[in-house]
Amino acid sequence: MKAAALAVGLAMSTALTAFTYQTADALERGGTLNFARYDGSKLVDPIYADRNPDIWMVGSLFSTLLETDPDSGELVGSLAERYEVAADGKTITLTLRDGLKFSDGSALTGEDVIFSLDRARNPDLGPWSGLLSAISNVSADGNTVTITLENPDPALLSMLATFNTAIVSKKAFEAAPGETDQDKSAAIFAAGGPGVGSGPFFLSGFEQGASMSFSANPHYWKLGEDGKPLPYVDGVEFQVIPDDATRVLKLTAGEVDIAEFIPFSRVSELDADPAINMYLFPSTRIIYSPINTRETRADGSPNPLADKRVRQALNYATHKDALIQLILQGAGKPMSSPVMSSATRLAVDMSPLYGFDLEKAKALIEEAGLEPGTEITLTTLAGSADDATIFAALQQMWQPLGITLVAEQVDGATRGAKNRSGEFDIHTYGWVDDVNDPSQVTGWLGYYPTRKAVGTGWNNAEFNGLYEASSTEMDPEKRADQYRQMQEIYAEAAPLLFMYETPFAVAVSGKVDGYIQTPLGNNIFENVSLER
Amino acid sequence: MAGVQYTLNRLVLMIPTFFLVMIIIFLLVRLLPGDPAIAIAGDKASDADIAAIRDKLGLNAPLWTQFWLFVTNTLQGDLGRSILMRAPVLDVVLARLPTTLFLTIYAVTLSMLIAGPLAFLAAVNRGKWQDNLIRAVFQVGLSMPVFYIGLLLLTFLAAHLGLFPVGGYGDTFLDRMYHLFLPAVTVALYTSAILMRNLRSAIIEVLDAEYVQFARAKGLPNRLILGRHVLKNALISTVTLLGLSIGQLMSGTLVTETVFAVPGVGRSMLEAIFARDYPLIQGLTLTFAVLVSAVFLMTDLFQSWLDPRMRLK
Repeated sequence: MKAAALAVGLAMSTALTAFTYQTADALERGGTLNFARYDGSKLVDPIYADRNPDIWMVGSLFSTLLETDPDSGELVGSLAERYEVAADGKTITLTLRDGLKFSDGSALTGEDVIFSLDRARNPDLGPWSGLLSAISNVSADGNTVTITLENPDPALLSMLATFNTAIVSKKAFEAAPGETDQDKSAAIFAAGGPGVGSGPFFLSGFEQGASMSFSANPHYWKLGEDGKPLPYVDGVEFQVIPDDATRVLKLTAGEVDIAEFIPFSRVSELDADPAINMYLFPSTRIIYSPINTRETRADGSPNPLADKRVRQALNYATHKDALIQLILQGAGKPMSSPVMSSATRLAVDMSPLYGFDLEKAKALIEEAGLEPGTEITLTTLAGSADDATIFAALQQMWQPLGITLVAEQVDGATRGAKNRSGEFDIHTYGWVDDVNDPSQVTGWLGYYPTRKAVGTGWNNAEFNGLYEASSTEMDPEKRADQYRQMQEIYAEAAPLLFMYETPFAVAVSGKVDGYIQTPLGNNIFENVSLER
Repeated sequence: MAGVQYTLNRLVLMIPTFFLVMIIIFLLVRLLPGDPAIAIAGDKASDADIAAIRDKLGLNAPLWTQFWLFVTNTLQGDLGRSILMRAPVLDVVLARLPTTLFLTIYAVTLSMLIAGPLAFLAAVNRGKWQDNLIRAVFQVGLSMPVFYIGLLLLTFLAAHLGLFPVGGYGDTFLDRMYHLFLPAVTVALYTSAILMRNLRSAIIEVLDAEYVQFARAKGLPNRLILGRHVLKNALISTVTLLGLSIGQLMSGTLVTETVFAVPGVGRSMLEAIFARDYPLIQGLTLTFAVLVSAVFLMTDLFQSWLDPRMRLK
């Protein structure tokens, strides 16, 4: 089967794969999958993982209580076979499956769940504890786990399907050498053996920045099509290959089976290769540019972008489809919601969101009284070909508005610092959701108390109020309505230059079946099988 | 005796050099825009988280306090803890240094093996087609960026012809020789081009020197003239250049290690800079400084052996 799998295609391929499993005489088990990564993991611990290359691997080593069904996008049971939320929304009761085991064969019990969740919500440890701040207590009685909340939290169930609440073995963790929690965690990962994990694999080798090995967990609870425990493969070998071209060469030379982060300029070429399946997995990744909305710039001069009409004009004058052709060779789509990707729950389809309309843009500029020749600086990443293209395109597109766009090239760390200090006019940025709930991205982009609305300084009382109300709203319809309103307010105020959504481009050898990268970016290897 | 004194002098001179390197690197790293705390916590972290991390890393302490800690810890062999790798810097350096050293020595050996015979061939056939061809080929090598040569070699020799692996760095010695051949050639091409040019003109110069003419007049066999008189004397300036090139070779590993996916200190350096990993940048730079100084020392010693006049100066 040869297809670039977009949403529908992906669902179809999953269905097809399942069909093949059922009809084949015997499913092929065994073999090692070789995977070329763009960057290495540092620490694949549920609560310390904070970069995507760490986060996206956690699920292979540790299971969560709940998980997101890759086909429907809905929450389903994982380690917990069912869950129940009390009417007042302040108690969640989960029932663990019978006979759960860690990768070393020891039993997984309620004690481990208490240990793991307490660790995850301890603000002195990992950076993600805030996501669980509503929890006041976790207790267990046999197979029943009870989570008590201070206040109802509509996002909490999604958090129980998120990497940082994954379950680790209390016994193995406490037995690990080291004084502090961090030392113990590091010691476990350095040891490279079964013990602490509850996922389909355990970490059997780890050379930082170079390679990582996963071995199949023989005690994993999930069963494959053949009735035996998943995963089908014996293991996964990861190699870190930061150079895009080298990663592609490795795949075409047959040295690896999967290469991730394929540059979009290479997609059609790989798609034409009969030995390779080029996948474009739907993602929550959006590419946008925060606009400084403060009345004055950091140097004290008046900021032309403080005027909403100017920001709107820039959005109207930006031909998103042209950008998508130039940068993604067509493999993307314009943002249809101003604060999230269309793959995120509660996203409202507002397309065309600022469709190209140069006349409207000119009128807005005139209304705002912007002086012709006004200089605006676009801060881009040095060395990024995409950013260079964006700059050149925007410079052309905005010229009819009388705007002189100036480029400032910096590296990632500098861009982050400028975003925090507000020393920018417009800069390039992007986002991928970490949690299967829109609260995180909405808080990041629009809610002022969280990092000043992605550093733009945009502070809207109505938006802030809606956001706060939505964070305890348990009625799904009311919550959806609050999110609809927030998206409308945000779109109108335009504190961002809304650009596009991009898929995850992964090239997979034809002999690999069942690999998925979720919209959050997680790599799912448990259903992978190799044709041999 | 003069040789021992000379060596000791050179060693003592290295102490202020290192001190200067430490001051410069300490200040340079802190002059870089961008905050390591943001790099660690990520863009998503709150301002309070950033402040807490700055505090924990000691970045709020006065500069001179930070510098004093850096110097005293370094003297005790403690290079600090890498922010990015979450491990002691010394461990990171020691784990990755052998690979880079292997690659560098491999590349140096290859450059000499390429440059030596070709320079000789070119010099002896000065102005003839052999000379012109060799010089033209090296001119092309010199004018191409290292990463581009690397990619070309990878595409044709590794991916298309399958003669070499595209990435990785092997386990056993022979396996490493095989895996690192293309990266080493990539780095060596550039260096050998420089060495070849220099060695060629040095040989030509020596060939014209009076003592060589005299040796010929005495009727010494050609092999002896070329081996003892020409090569040894021509090597003097080339050895200096080779020493200098090793510094350049090591910086070349920054690019080569990234293209060929070789996890050495060069690639760590790039990662460390992007993450504003102060301790790792400092540790790696210091390591580079020690290595380059050691190479310079060896160059000087070798040169003083080749040319005894050096020792008397």
